[in-house]
Amino acid sequence: MVLRNRGLLSVAAATSVAVAVAGYGLSGASTVRSHATASIASGSVYKVGVPMPETGPNAQAGTEIFDAEQLAADQINAKGGVLGHKIQLYEQDTACEAQTGASADAKLVSLGVQAFVGNYCSGAALPGEPIVARAGLPNLQPSANDPALTQGHFKDVFLLDPNSTGDATEATAFFKMMHVKKVLIADDQSAFGVSVAQAAAADFRHAKIKFPTVQAVPATTTDFSAVISVIKSTGVQAVYWTGYYAQWALLVKQARAAGLNKVVYVGADSTVDPAFISGAGAAANGTYATIVRTTQLLKGKQANLFTRQYRAKFHSAPGPYSAFGYDAMNTLAAAARKAHSIAPAKVIAALHKIHLNGLTGPVSFTKAGARVGAKFVVLEVKHGAYVSAPKQP
Amino acid sequence: MQLLVGEIEDGIFLGAFFVLIALGYSMVYGILRLINFAHGDFYMLAAFISFTIFGAVGASHLHGQWLVIVGVGLATMIATGAANVLVERLVYRPMRRAALLSLMIAALGVSQVLENGVLNIPGWGAAYLAYPVTTSDAGTYIFGTRFTYAQIAMVVIAGLLSVGVYYLVSRTMLGKAMRAVAEDRIAASLMGINVDRVIALVFFIGGALAGAAAIMAGLYYGQINYLMGFTVGLEAFTAAVLGGIGNIPGAVLGGLLLGIVQSIGTGVFGAQWAVVVSFGVLVGVLWLRPTGILGERVARRM
Repeated sequence: MVLRNRGLLSVAAATSVAVAVAGYGLSGASTVRSHATASIASGSVYKVGVPMPETGPNAQAGTEIFDAEQLAADQINAKGGVLGHKIQLYEQDTACEAQTGASADAKLVSLGVQAFVGNYCSGAALPGEPIVARAGLPNLQPSANDPALTQGHFKDVFLLDPNSTGDATEATAFFKMMHVKKVLIADDQSAFGVSVAQAAAADFRHAKIKFPTVQAVPATTTDFSAVISVIKSTGVQAVYWTGYYAQWALLVKQARAAGLNKVVYVGADSTVDPAFISGAGAAANGTYATIVRTTQLLKGKQANLFTRQYRAKFHSAPGPYSAFGYDAMNTLAAAARKAHSIAPAKVIAALHKIHLNGLTGPVSFTKAGARVGAKFVVLEVKHGAYVSAPKQP
Repeated sequence: MQLLVGEIEDGIFLGAFFVLIALGYSMVYGILRLINFAHGDFYMLAAFISFTIFGAVGASHLHGQWLVIVGVGLATMIATGAANVLVERLVYRPMRRAALLSLMIAALGVSQVLENGVLNIPGWGAAYLAYPVTTSDAGTYIFGTRFTYAQIAMVVIAGLLSVGVYYLVSRTMLGKAMRAVAEDRIAASLMGINVDRVIALVFFIGGALAGAAAIMAGLYYGQINYLMGFTVGLEAFTAAVLGGIGNIPGAVLGGLLLGIVQSIGTGVFGAQWAVVVSFGVLVGVLWLRPTGILGERVARRM
């Protein structure tokens, strides 16, 4: 009784803190900001809704993606638009919140947009899915990538940012390249961690990499000695951690202190954070992480050109997910051209069959709408900083 | 076999933290019958206090300078003990005649104030902070399992502190006064014992022990967070109950046992079962011995 009271109170308090932090400064956040030139006649306009966080802690990321979409739209419009229709973007604040996100989508539907290319946060995207689906509009997501987004059986959802399965696939390829035959999978019981761990288990089975157990470590665990003894007893050559960076720092540090220096340490993209390196100290060196190639990690002429154009237009560097926003807008335009129509149903049908080369790699989608073809990279920590690993799978 | 030995050793190391925190729980319970749910948060507070002191003395150059670490450790223990006394003076003492339930709710309140207070202090906040000083990775093998020298030192320190507390309570006049107050507060005051001072001292010792555990955790685990006290506090409370709350050797035994059970439980069943196993053992022990393994005093009013 006593224990339960404490737990409940504490959970309630933690939740209220989280809500307070997340909701900080988000009031009055539903104004429409149209960035289009007003002179375009409405008959020849392709109205595209862009629900994005404009306020709160994710406002910066939202702006960076919106600007990249604006850049893509301007470039398309300069070449005559989509089948003669000029793209006009309608931005609406989601604040990265479920409720605000849903009402942003509803508002954009009522404004008569013909497609959605928005959402940075999965939490804001999820409740909006049925609203957009009921309106029958294509719903492209530049960076929201929770696997749940493609599990709602909506036929109009397309995610540009590959979800957790991509992370696991890259790790599997990396282990194969390193000739690792036996791996310990560990997650932190979070939705993200569990989904990557499950995807990894499936990929490992396929690639004939053994994994004796999947350790689901409570997110409150700070002492990993028991997990470390499992690493020893099972004789695995590598550890694949799909939880977050704070615990990853503890695990790596303690494992190295216990003498496990020959083990290959690989984390999912949730481990990529400067706090991992400061938390693990010298023990971080020589560890790996898989991550999708965000704007700064993209290489090649096309990516450099994009960065230059973005800088010239907005006088600041593009954000990590700007390239995904740029690709999302171009994907929508390509699908409409392929369908010879901007009618939503036809664009959705074309999106299901789309193949194009984007900044972030080849763009196509699974039946459920998950991205196929995005480029990944394996990062290595060297001298206390992330660098691209010398050998890539 | 080798593995089991290693898991037991890991469990003892983990248990050393539980012991230090469980002692504070147990002593306060022994003297006030109060389950001080804020106790785990004093451990958290101590971690932040030491974080700030290390920062102030320019911690990045301190690698391996044991004298400085011990000095900061003592300062933190005193500061945390004093903070615990202050809370006793401001919150619990005025409520001493109130129902125990009210005291316990007050302790819950203190816990929330501490957690969210730390959250709001500039430079502390919600992020995982990297502890400014870390211990060296140099170490040795004990029965085939590697431990760093720092880990060994921490277990030794925890052991010495436990013995010290046991000696203080069972062998000194001050300890006799504590036991007298625990037995019968009114009779003790009639015998000329300054009850307020004795209770304050118990809070001071409890806070200081939590402070010692916090510095060890900061040095070894390398990161601190404003919620770090919650789970550890719960586990230490479990350890205290397991061994027999209100009883000093019981807290030590319970702490070590809980550490070992958690370690073996994870090794055998996997990390997802650690909590199930350790609390399952708690229920099992309480079922067989409702007062805990070494418990003499029944938790009458709880």
